[in-house]
Amino acid sequence: MDHESNEEQTLASNLQSLSFSDPLSNQFNSLNDLCYEISSLQDLASRGSWLSILDKVARARKLSLLRKPHEHLIYLSYNVLALTKLRQYGDAAEELDSLEDFDSAQYKYESYPDHYPNRSGSMVPFALRWLHAEIPHKLGKRQETLDRLYTLLDFVRTKLKERESKSIDVCFDRWKKKEAFLINAISCHHLSYKEFGVCLTLLQSLLNVDSLDPVLLSKLGYIQMQLGDLDGSKASFNRVESLMKEGNSGALLDEVEFKNLICRNKAMIYLVGKDYISAVREYDKCIERDPTDVVATNNKALCLMYSRDLSDSIKVLESALERVPTVALNETLVVNLCSMYELAYVNHGDIKKTLSNWIARVAPDDFDSSCTRI
Amino acid sequence: MSSTPGPHSLAFRVMRLCRPSFHVDSPLRVDPLDLFTGEDLFDDPIAASQLPRLFPQSGNHKAGESDLTYRNRFELQSPTDAMGLSGLLILPQAFGAIYLGETFCTYISINNSSDFEVRDVIIKAEIQRERQRLLLLDTTKSPVESIRSGGRYDFIVEHDVKELGAHTLVCTALYNDGDGERKHLPQFFKFVVANPLSVRTKVRSVKESTFLEACIENHTKSNLFMDQVEFEPAEHWSITVLKADEHSSEINCRTREIFKPPILIRAGGGIHNYLYQLRLSSAQMKVDGSNILGKLQITWRTNLGEPGRLQTQQILGSPIARQDIELQILDIPSLTVLEKPFLVHLNLNNQTERNRGPFEVWLSQDEPREEKTIFVDGVQKLVLPQVEALSSTDFKLNLIATRLGVQKITGITVFDTREKKTYNPLLDLEIFVDAD
Repeated sequence: MDHESNEEQTLASNLQSLSFSDPLSNQFNSLNDLCYEISSLQDLASRGSWLSILDKVARARKLSLLRKPHEHLIYLSYNVLALTKLRQYGDAAEELDSLEDFDSAQYKYESYPDHYPNRSGSMVPFALRWLHAEIPHKLGKRQETLDRLYTLLDFVRTKLKERESKSIDVCFDRWKKKEAFLINAISCHHLSYKEFGVCLTLLQSLLNVDSLDPVLLSKLGYIQMQLGDLDGSKASFNRVESLMKEGNSGALLDEVEFKNLICRNKAMIYLVGKDYISAVREYDKCIERDPTDVVATNNKALCLMYSRDLSDSIKVLESALERVPTVALNETLVVNLCSMYELAYVNHGDIKKTLSNWIARVAPDDFDSSCTRI
Repeated sequence: MSSTPGPHSLAFRVMRLCRPSFHVDSPLRVDPLDLFTGEDLFDDPIAASQLPRLFPQSGNHKAGESDLTYRNRFELQSPTDAMGLSGLLILPQAFGAIYLGETFCTYISINNSSDFEVRDVIIKAEIQRERQRLLLLDTTKSPVESIRSGGRYDFIVEHDVKELGAHTLVCTALYNDGDGERKHLPQFFKFVVANPLSVRTKVRSVKESTFLEACIENHTKSNLFMDQVEFEPAEHWSITVLKADEHSSEINCRTREIFKPPILIRAGGGIHNYLYQLRLSSAQMKVDGSNILGKLQITWRTNLGEPGRLQTQQILGSPIARQDIELQILDIPSLTVLEKPFLVHLNLNNQTERNRGPFEVWLSQDEPREEKTIFVDGVQKLVLPQVEALSSTDFKLNLIATRLGVQKITGITVFDTREKKTYNPLLDLEIFVDAD
C-alpha cells in the first residue's frame, strides 16, 4: 500500500516537473493535438476515401480552419497524396509548385517563435519530399524522379550523419527507416523497368546492413526468380528457412506470417518446376492458417489455371472477393480474374460488367477500374 | 477442309501460357508519421518518447482478423513494402514474342455458346509450318461425348519451337450440333518465330593452345539470364573455361554467400563474351581437312525461369593439312622486350620417308600486307643440315621485335636447297612485346 502511494507521488512530481520545464509537455496527448482534426484525415485515408479528403482540405482552407503554419503543410501533404492516389497528377504537381523550396526559412519552426516557442528544425513532412520526387515520373519524366529520389537519399544520409552521435535512438531509427524506405522505392522504379542489375545491387546494400530480414531475403529470391536465376532464388529461400529455424525475426513477423512466407516461397519453387499440384498444396496451408493471405489465394488460382482447371481458378478468386473483399480487392487480382473470364467465356462482356458493378460499390476511391478492361 | 457454313455452336478461345510474372507496382504507401509530423519533430526528445505511443507501428495486422479497411493500400507496414513486390503473380497480358529454342505453351478452350448440347466432338490441334504439320492433340480415338450448353472442354498443348518464321496453330473441331448436323470448325492462330541470339566466334592459336572467343548477342526484347553456356569439344580436344578474376569488392562483400551476381545479357543488342582454351589431347593427331573444335550449347532463361535452348553449328579452327615439313615451337621466352633480341627454339620435322635438306630458314619479307615488326637479328638466313626420313632437328631463331603489343611472327620460310622446294608460310605465331 505504502509502496503504491509512493509511486503515485513520484509520478505526480514527474509530471509536475515536466510541465514546469517544458511548456509543450501536453502537446502529444492525442493525434489531434498534433494538427487540426488529423485523426479524421487518417481515418478517411485508411478507408480509401480520398475524394472526401480533397473535400475536407478544400473546406478547411476555405473556412480558414487551420491556424498554424505546420497545419497548412500537413493538409497540403494529404491533399497531394490524395490527388496522386486519384491519378490527378497534374493537379498534384500544381499543389507542389505552389510551395517554396523545402529548405527555406518559411518552413522552419524557429521562424515562428510565437507558434513554436523552443522548437527548431524543419516542419516539412517527409512524405511531401517523397511525393515531390515521385510526381515527375507519373507525368512521364522518369529521369527527373530518379534524380530526385537519389538526391533525397543523400539528404536522408546527411541527416543520419548529423544524428549519429546524439542519444535519441527513436529519431535515428526513424531516419534509418526513411533511408530503407527510399532504397526500396528506388528499387521499385528500377524493377518496373527490368533493370535487374541495379536492383540486385541496391538489395545487396540493404542486406549488407541487415541480412536477417526474411521478407527482404524473400524479395531477393523473387527478383532472382523473375530474371531466371532459379538456383540463386533457391539459395535465398533456403536462407529464409534457416532464419526461421534459428528463431530470428520475431520482431518483424509473427509466427503465422513467417510460416506463410516460407510456404509461399516453397510454392514458388514448385511452380517454376511446373509441379502445380504441390504448389496448390502449399498455398492451401497458407490459406488455412490465414484466410486473408491474398497472395496465396491469387497465386493458387494461377496454379489451378496452369493445371488446366480454369473453372476452379475462377471460383477461387471470386470466392476471395466475396469472403474478404477489403483484402482481396486489388487491381492485380482483378486483372487475373478478367483474363480468366476472357478465356472461359466467348461472351465475357456480361460477367465482367457484373464484376465491375460490384467493384464500383465496394472499392476505395483510388481503385483503378481500368483493370477490368471493359 | 473449310469451315461448315452457318453459325457454329462451338468456338475456340486460346491464350498463350508463358510463365506468369511477379507484379511490380509503385504502391504509394507511406508511414503515417511521415505524413503528419514535421521531419525534424523527433529531434525533440519529448516528441520522440511520446509520439510512438500515439501511433503504434508495424506488427499491427493480426493474421486471421479481417481488417475491414483499405489500410494496407495507404500505410506502410515495413520499408520493404515500398518495393512494390508483394509476391502476387500476374498472368501474361499479351501474346508476346516467340523465339527459336523456346517452348510454345497454350491453353485452348472450346466453348459451347449455343443453347443446345453438342455431341461426339473430335478436337485436333496442330502446328502448321510451310510444308509440315505437327499434331499436338487429337481426340479422334476417344471423342468428347458431349459438351453441354454453356460448357467447355479445355486442354493445354506444348510445342518446342525448332524453326524460324511463320507458324500457325490450327485448332479444329468436328461435332454434331443441336440439330444432329455434323459440322467442322477450323480456327487459325498465327505467330512468328524469331531468332533470339547470334553467336560470333574468333579462333586464335597461341603456342600450343587454341583460344576460342564466343560473343553472344541478345536480339530479344527481354534480358536473358545465361543459365548454362557450355562448349562441347570435339573428339581429341580438351577445354578449359577462362574467367576474369573477381573484383576485390565482390570478394569482401558480406552477402557473397547468399548471392552470386548472375550473367544477364541486356535486351535488344546486349552482348556477353566467353573465352575458352582448347588443347589437343593426343599429341600427334593431325587429321587432314578442317579442324572441328566443337559446339556451343546455350541454355537461357527469362521470366520466372522460362527456358530456351540452342546449339551452334560446329565451330572450326584453322585447317590443318598434312605437310611434308612441319615446324613446331619448342620454347619461346615468356617475356619479350622491345628491341631486345630473343631466341625462339624450333623443331623441324621431316614427315616424309626420304632424307630432306639441307635447308635454309629465313623470315620472308615478301608480303607487306601487315607491316612487319619482327625480324631476324643478325645473319638473315639460317642454314640447317640434312634431316633424315621421319626424324627432326632442333634449331634456334634469333629474333628482335620493333613494336610494342601483340605482334605476329610470320612468314617463316623453309627452303629445301636440294629439291629447290619452298615451304611457307609455316607456323604463324603471336607474341606480346613489352616495354623495357
